[in-house]
Amino acid sequence: MADDVTQPRIGVDEWVSSVEEKRERYRGPIGWLRRGWDSSPPAARLLVFVVPAVIFPFVTSEGNLFRYGLITLLYALLGLGLNVTVGFAGLLDLGYIAFFGIGAYTYGYVASTHANHHWPAELAIPLAIAVAGLVGFIVGFPSRRLVGDYLAIVTLFFGQAFVVFVNNADRINFWPFNHTDLTGGANGLDNIDPLNVFGWKVNTTKEYYLFTLGAFLLVMILLYFVSGSRTGRAWKALREDPLAAEVMSMPVNKLKLMAFTFGAGIAGFAGAIYGSVQTGAFPGDYDIGLLITIYAIVILGGAGSLAGVIVGALIVNGVPELLRDSNQAEWVFYTVVAILVITKVRPWQKLVTVIGGTIALGFALHAIADAWFPRWTAGEANAGRLAHWVSHWMVLPSHPTQLANWAYVLTIALILVLTLLHGWWRTIVMIPTIYVGAFAWENLLVENTVGATRFLLLGALLVVLMNARPQGLFGSARVEIV
Amino acid sequence: MAEQPLLDLRGVGKSFGGLACLSELDLHVNEGEIVSVIGPNGAGKTTLFNVITGVYRPDEGDILLDGESIVGLEPHKVTDRGVARTFQTLRLFLNMTVRENVMAVQYGRTKSTVFEAMLRLPRSRREERQIRLNAEEKLSFFGQRLVGYRWDQPAYSLSYANRRRLEIARAMATEPRILLLDEPAAGMNPSETHEITELIGQLREEGKYTILVIEHDMHVVEGISDRVVALDHGVKIAEGSFDAVATDPRVVEAYLGLRKAETK
Repeated sequence: MADDVTQPRIGVDEWVSSVEEKRERYRGPIGWLRRGWDSSPPAARLLVFVVPAVIFPFVTSEGNLFRYGLITLLYALLGLGLNVTVGFAGLLDLGYIAFFGIGAYTYGYVASTHANHHWPAELAIPLAIAVAGLVGFIVGFPSRRLVGDYLAIVTLFFGQAFVVFVNNADRINFWPFNHTDLTGGANGLDNIDPLNVFGWKVNTTKEYYLFTLGAFLLVMILLYFVSGSRTGRAWKALREDPLAAEVMSMPVNKLKLMAFTFGAGIAGFAGAIYGSVQTGAFPGDYDIGLLITIYAIVILGGAGSLAGVIVGALIVNGVPELLRDSNQAEWVFYTVVAILVITKVRPWQKLVTVIGGTIALGFALHAIADAWFPRWTAGEANAGRLAHWVSHWMVLPSHPTQLANWAYVLTIALILVLTLLHGWWRTIVMIPTIYVGAFAWENLLVENTVGATRFLLLGALLVVLMNARPQGLFGSARVEIV
Repeated sequence: MAEQPLLDLRGVGKSFGGLACLSELDLHVNEGEIVSVIGPNGAGKTTLFNVITGVYRPDEGDILLDGESIVGLEPHKVTDRGVARTFQTLRLFLNMTVRENVMAVQYGRTKSTVFEAMLRLPRSRREERQIRLNAEEKLSFFGQRLVGYRWDQPAYSLSYANRRRLEIARAMATEPRILLLDEPAAGMNPSETHEITELIGQLREEGKYTILVIEHDMHVVEGISDRVVALDHGVKIAEGSFDAVATDPRVVEAYLGLRKAETK
């Protein structure tokens, strides 16, 4: 916007200039990155993702490739489909995971020992996509006039009905399906064939990873073209204002149906791949839990943003996996705290006070404990470099459990108190809050990261990120004028 | 009146739960004409627009566009036939860019399917180019106000007056034969109002549009109208030149309640 100054100022309202100012405010490396990202062509942006993604399987172990690579990609592929229905067209589809399941079951039915069909993937995957898309169409047809909450209720019901259906469709007994076992009931389908695409037998994790990467890129590029086409624009218009879209020549009902069918088809595609990766399809896999995960991915990345889906999937799938290891969990914890403090505490005087105060408080308490109560610092620090540094700052009692439990409760109480305080009081109380929180973490939670703590921390991370950027990491801020 | 009117409403009635918003309304707009609809609040002016554009279906009567009935068509089909409108309460696609707003509404005039768009087949690419050029042309109708760096700004960042202009540009981009403008000067300052008055004249001269406009500002109505129609309680109470309608005792009564005061 360098030539902005030379343009006549008439008609340039303050709002616009304030927006420009906001964008220019990002200086230093972050601002440089943002402007670079905004100005680079889409193909270059894609490379930022593709190059590491292609190198990844050749530098990591099989287990890591499965957990961090393949599952993340599958989630991202699912996210792309949900992005069409929710992100582009703004339809709150809570039955989305059922289409994922339909893909997996369809693939499983035609390519497993269950019914002794062994279709090759080049036929079975299109069938899975078509069946999922068709069911999406059928569900969408009666609900295309519903909006918002009502659509959410109907689709949520459909999602639940799907789970009940697959649990019971092993003994269908009416004409013309006498004694048909469609889904294997509660046991699911097993022995699903590995993918066999035009004679290429996909067997190893690495091959699955590369196949899924290809599928993801294909869907991503196709969707990118759609989003810039008349259909993509119409979807966005319908999300913004359905009545205006209808009056402005867009057939809203048809467009909703299309978005629904499209999202379902992509979910079916992901389902077919997932079915063959798992070599099975089980009713429990296609339930609300996964739905929430995929929604978290799309919302965290920024609804409507294709790049956001990748980053969202990396965070939502990657972080809980990282947290399995207490050393990595340590890094995640302090990063979350740092992001929270840095983004939320303004102005810089308060920020400096909080950070400086927390560090000083730690060392002071540590010194006092060292001098008078040696037992309080006798606890074992975790292995790992960060934990080693932390052990000079944090009081680690030799028998911490009881105390840490109380610290945990105290942290929650302090956070509640924080929300009631204002101004400098809030800044000052924040210092012990962080310290007590870190105490509970070091002495209690870090040991249990395999269990519930993982998800607690992931939840906290999501809250922090959404607070820092409500529109999602790659979303653009949505504005309503009333 | 030998020639067939472009838009012809015959005995149109619409009521909501016993409340008649429009009744027995006859109204016609000839090709190239600018007709203003005036009336106090609640007179049924916006309902009239909603009935014409297919948002509401009239309970009785017929609406003919160029001799063909458009009653019962879905709104987007009505738009395809050549009727475009703006909204009194602005209904832009706020989180889309200025250019996207004008590009999106050309949906009805283009044909390439979503599969053609995916594979970027020639027809899709050709249409995209055309849509973009067309959008930029429509936006340049407003001089410097909606061009250049404004193209890529979100619609919400525009000032109120510019949002009104964008609404008109968006309606123009559907290539209508008749434009329905719902209070285009509402909320504008005197100089902007003056500009809008000139713009509506330009729309007819350069854009060759036929225009039906709802307006409260009598200066605007005086400046633009070939003919004025006054509504009150859904009934047409006067029709004719601005001077004739503005001095019509029934219109004066509808606005000021004068006769009641006199009889007391």
